[in-house]
Amino acid sequence: MPILEVKKLSVRYGEQSILDDISFDLEKGDTLAIIGPNGSGKTTLLRAILGAISYEGEIIFTLQTRIGYVPQKIDLERDLPITVQEFLLLKSAQKKSSAYSPHQALEMVNLSANFLKKRLGELSAGELQRVLIAWAVIDRPSLLLFDEPTASVDVAGQETVYELLHRLHDKYDLTLILISHDLTVVYRYASKVLCLNREQVCYGAPSEVLTPKELEKLYGGGHKFYHHIHEKT
Amino acid sequence: MDANLLKILIAASLIAASGGMLGSLALLRRMALVGDALSHVALPGVALGILFHFNPFLGALAFLVFGTFAIWAVEHKTKLPVDTLVGVLFTVALAVGALLTPREDILDALFGDISNISSLDFWLASIASIIIIILLLVFYKKFTLSLISPDLALASGQKPHMLELLFLMIFAFAVAVGIKFTGALLMGSLIIIPAATARNFARSMNQYLTFSALLGVFGAILGVLVSYFYGFSPGPAFVLFSGAIFFISIFFRR
Repeated sequence: MPILEVKKLSVRYGEQSILDDISFDLEKGDTLAIIGPNGSGKTTLLRAILGAISYEGEIIFTLQTRIGYVPQKIDLERDLPITVQEFLLLKSAQKKSSAYSPHQALEMVNLSANFLKKRLGELSAGELQRVLIAWAVIDRPSLLLFDEPTASVDVAGQETVYELLHRLHDKYDLTLILISHDLTVVYRYASKVLCLNREQVCYGAPSEVLTPKELEKLYGGGHKFYHHIHEKT
Repeated sequence: MDANLLKILIAASLIAASGGMLGSLALLRRMALVGDALSHVALPGVALGILFHFNPFLGALAFLVFGTFAIWAVEHKTKLPVDTLVGVLFTVALAVGALLTPREDILDALFGDISNISSLDFWLASIASIIIIILLLVFYKKFTLSLISPDLALASGQKPHMLELLFLMIFAFAVAVGIKFTGALLMGSLIIIPAATARNFARSMNQYLTFSALLGVFGAILGVLVSYFYGFSPGPAFVLFSGAIFFISIFFRR
């Protein structure tokens, strides 16, 4: 049984259509990559799944589905006097039983306990991203939404954010939806891919649907992507 | 110490503590000037109270609750430009208040005077402040999250718009209470200054909230004592002391 089913989803702002007739479903353990050019409605789709915006059509979860969300970035003021520990504990106010302690959540994303006392504003971009992932997984979500993880390389000698996600996916049996620009990542980690350009351009297993022809349809002038794919596969 | 002074000290301290805590949350989203602008809306209510001989606190509260709700509704239910509208609405309120307030009462309404606090006002101010403090402590985590990141709040199943309305209502309540102390014009100081000072050296939310409240209380006690013994107005005295501490704290910024 799918844990998430999206049927004929459309989103409009006034007259303008942002998403039109999107349908897909996810089984437990799937990794769905959403790809598409800028302004194609990728983030809007995530926001609809989160229930943050109104939409037409259906988004159906199984009962136990708990969503964790990692935003692309959060606009924090640098001098915000809040520690990582306090930040992670904010979430436990929302749900009665937080499954992991802040310490455990940091361990899951490979950050040491020293970070508990650091202020959010003191973190590097890569560290903040890991803290946001810890935030998302702290109450044991079954579905993780990830808005365009930029592969920050400033946490030296550690796994990339994709390796981290992949590890969490395997170890904790997560279902993942991630927005990505990076086709290498899509090939390596995704079990399904959804190509968006306001409407659904393609949907299926990456090796089947990511043909040069489809990519050209999606991005226009797919020559570059064709090479890109060949280099990496 | 005479009973009247003790009463003033207690009321001023509680008002300042609640203002400080509220301010520490408000400053998370650069809402400092909301308190300042909002306090102007209270003035017509205060004036009506004076003119028709009912407690000005109630008049202020009624206008503030209406004003806050109007802002919230405009922001979320219409596409009108909020800041422009707020600017117009608030200055109009200030002008109406200035016209309505009897001449001999205008200084008290604008700058506050807690030195002649009645028994009823004392209990009103103290109990209202305690309620505000309790509400802030209960909702502290939810407010913090929705203020620092509405997106994350939404994703965690909160309703940021409703929380914002609740926060603004608490804000309105705090302003209505604080006007007795610092008046409509200086009300913003109770909310902005202690929190801004605490932010300069707090290393965590816990410290930030605690320091804001304590700095408010400290400034209030100094202000009340000095005004009591030297005959100044307590509101401006509070602002001057708190302002001085803020400028000193800049040099100790972490």
